[in-house]
Amino acid sequence: MAEWLANIPLYVPKIIAVLVFAGGMIWTWRRPKSFIYKDAPDHKRWRDLRIWITFVMICQIAVYLYF
Amino acid sequence: MHGIDMFIVISYLVAIPAFGFYFKRFIKTGQDYFLAGRMLPFWVISMSIIGTQIGATDFVGAAGGAYRFGIAQAHFEWIGALPAMMISALLFIPYYWKAGVYTVPEFLGKRYNLTVRIMLAILWVFWMIFFLGVLFWTAGLMLNEYLGLPIWLCLVATALIVGIYTITGGLAAVAMTDVIQTVVMFIGGIALSALGVWALGGWTPMVEKIIPTNPQHFHLFLPVDHDTYPWTGVLFGLAFVMSPAWWCCNQAMIQRALGARSEWDAKAGMVFAMFPKMLIPFVTVLPGLIALAMNPNLLGANMDKAFPWLIKNLLPTGLAGLVFASFMAALISSVDSILNSTATLLTRDIYQRLFVRDKPDKHYLDVGRILTLVFIILAIILAPLTKLFPGIFVAGATMLSLFQGPTFGITLLGIYWKRATRWGGMFGLIGGVICSSILFWGLHWKFLDIAWWSFMTSVILNIVISLLTPAEPVEKLKNLVYGLVMTGDE
Repeated sequence: MAEWLANIPLYVPKIIAVLVFAGGMIWTWRRPKSFIYKDAPDHKRWRDLRIWITFVMICQIAVYLYF
Repeated sequence: MHGIDMFIVISYLVAIPAFGFYFKRFIKTGQDYFLAGRMLPFWVISMSIIGTQIGATDFVGAAGGAYRFGIAQAHFEWIGALPAMMISALLFIPYYWKAGVYTVPEFLGKRYNLTVRIMLAILWVFWMIFFLGVLFWTAGLMLNEYLGLPIWLCLVATALIVGIYTITGGLAAVAMTDVIQTVVMFIGGIALSALGVWALGGWTPMVEKIIPTNPQHFHLFLPVDHDTYPWTGVLFGLAFVMSPAWWCCNQAMIQRALGARSEWDAKAGMVFAMFPKMLIPFVTVLPGLIALAMNPNLLGANMDKAFPWLIKNLLPTGLAGLVFASFMAALISSVDSILNSTATLLTRDIYQRLFVRDKPDKHYLDVGRILTLVFIILAIILAPLTKLFPGIFVAGATMLSLFQGPTFGITLLGIYWKRATRWGGMFGLIGGVICSSILFWGLHWKFLDIAWWSFMTSVILNIVISLLTPAEPVEKLKNLVYGLVMTGDE
């Protein structure tokens, strides 16, 4: 195994993981509303899937920063 | 097992098939049977996805993994699932649902060619048959261990419990029973974890007991030279390839969303499944850590007995029956879904496409039911063989990691690159599977690393060969490719 790989500190994968979750969260908010609500029976706020995805991703960022 | 526990378990095992059998009355056509008539609401899809994904082997395996490696085992439920579920919901499921297909290979057959469709269907069916054998054997062992019945009787009982509603009610019965089984699974699992943490005096005392002898057990990322979960494998193999492949291309996962009553329900089903998914480590991983804090003397292969050890040594009468019922719920909800998906793949992608094409819909409904029965009988025959030839079945189950990377590669390019051609897809799939076979059997690489490199091989081959062959006509790609569907909404 390459020595440089073994020398990477373990906070690097932690940062990558946090960026994956944060990136996913930001990306969902760039989806148009018409796509998120497509075919939904109404446009109530709880049907906006971006809100729920954001909640999950924030929980995950907290977990990955804690452990 | 105490009388009260026995009563809880037997009541549960009788109630589930009775409830599932009720849905037989709604099955009139092939679409009713294979896709629940495309009438599933999002909450049923969510619960069914979780019920399908978590099997009894996860309970035992994840608790054993946590006992051995610590909280890193939770990667499979967190970074190894949640980002992929989001991608599946917003990037893949809308295309599958819009295309009106029954299976993922059917979608790829429309996008590439018949060879890709048949190859993928055969690979999935083979893997599912191996996996069914393993699941049936696990169920037989569990019933044998806790109810004291002979093993052959336990296998037949499992077949009856699952067969009654899976053969008659199709996906609707499978999905609706999964809802109940997922609730039971969580109640039993959380009760076990809560009781364990309480018995240890809380979270902090538990951590303080484990840390002195296992300093890495509360670190999510492990060093790059770790035998099983190096952080490079976790990120590049699991998070970036294996989990998107599982959540975006696995028929057993996607079939629920294909049965949704609307595109929003299909997407929401996957998004809302992220909530229970996030909590699963509290049901599967935490018991392993509790067992380690209570009894650090399980060594070697005995580490996988962390979960059964906890059930035997921690639970009072009544609760043991409930946890065992949740254990069975996890198992049955996986078996029924895989049976249904295997029958769907074989009926739609092989029987209807290659052998008998123009029969009335009722014919394919009957074929689906007969094939489900055939797979149940096959699983009963294969189950004892998992004991006799464990190597074959481990290899069969590992086979999934050999074609998951290439499958994800051709699906990703198929939807998001208009220029991908039938030849690119075909050679991308074949080349990726050959690459992973060489890495697995020839060089004995770790499965997480194999997933990444077979995915990359598949993508590179697909791009190179697609650029060397004529582009697909735009008419063929409509409703299948990004930019040619849902105009203005993408």
